[in-house]
Amino acid sequence: MKTADLAVAVFLAISVVSTGICCSALLLFRDLFQRLHYLSVVTTLSTLTLLVAVVIKEGAGQATTKAVLAFIVLLLVNAVLSHATARAARVREFGQWTPTSDEHIGGAEQGK
Amino acid sequence: MNPWMIASIGFLMCMIPCGIAAFRGSPMERLLGLEMGGIVVTMFLLVMAEGLGRPNFYDIGLTMALLAFGGGVVFTRFLERWL
Repeated sequence: MKTADLAVAVFLAISVVSTGICCSALLLFRDLFQRLHYLSVVTTLSTLTLLVAVVIKEGAGQATTKAVLAFIVLLLVNAVLSHATARAARVREFGQWTPTSDEHIGGAEQGK
Repeated sequence: MNPWMIASIGFLMCMIPCGIAAFRGSPMERLLGLEMGGIVVTMFLLVMAEGLGRPNFYDIGLTMALLAFGGGVVFTRFLERWL
């Protein structure tokens, strides 16, 4: 087995294992906001290692360009989606997404 | 069977916890299962395209990434306002 093939296998393994751990965390953690963090791990670590594997295998070309595009889309989109989901969860729970009067959030108080 | 196809099987296995999460809990918790599933399917499609040796199939993964975002946002706004 060549070094490149070994590197591809290792990066693919990292991608699959990290995705598996994060998907399992969806079931292990009870709090919605804790679970939400694991979406970010998948879109950063897992997709990046997958992209590196594609780059090693294909080099410069059509496949690499499309894989980079997919990585960028996932990276940008997940940030928006995570924020929207967290905001929706707070609105459903408290009726508003800004801190309530009985909440003491350090960052929010500094901003006042 | 090449490493890409083995990885695609791994990604398919990752869909099982996503499916379970999408079937239990509050509506917001279920939505998280759907969002995670969209990301995993995107990576599955990318790996399958490479495993089958068809670079053109990368377009399907790219499209899935965009559509998963659209679906997620629609459900999020719907759950925030109306349900």
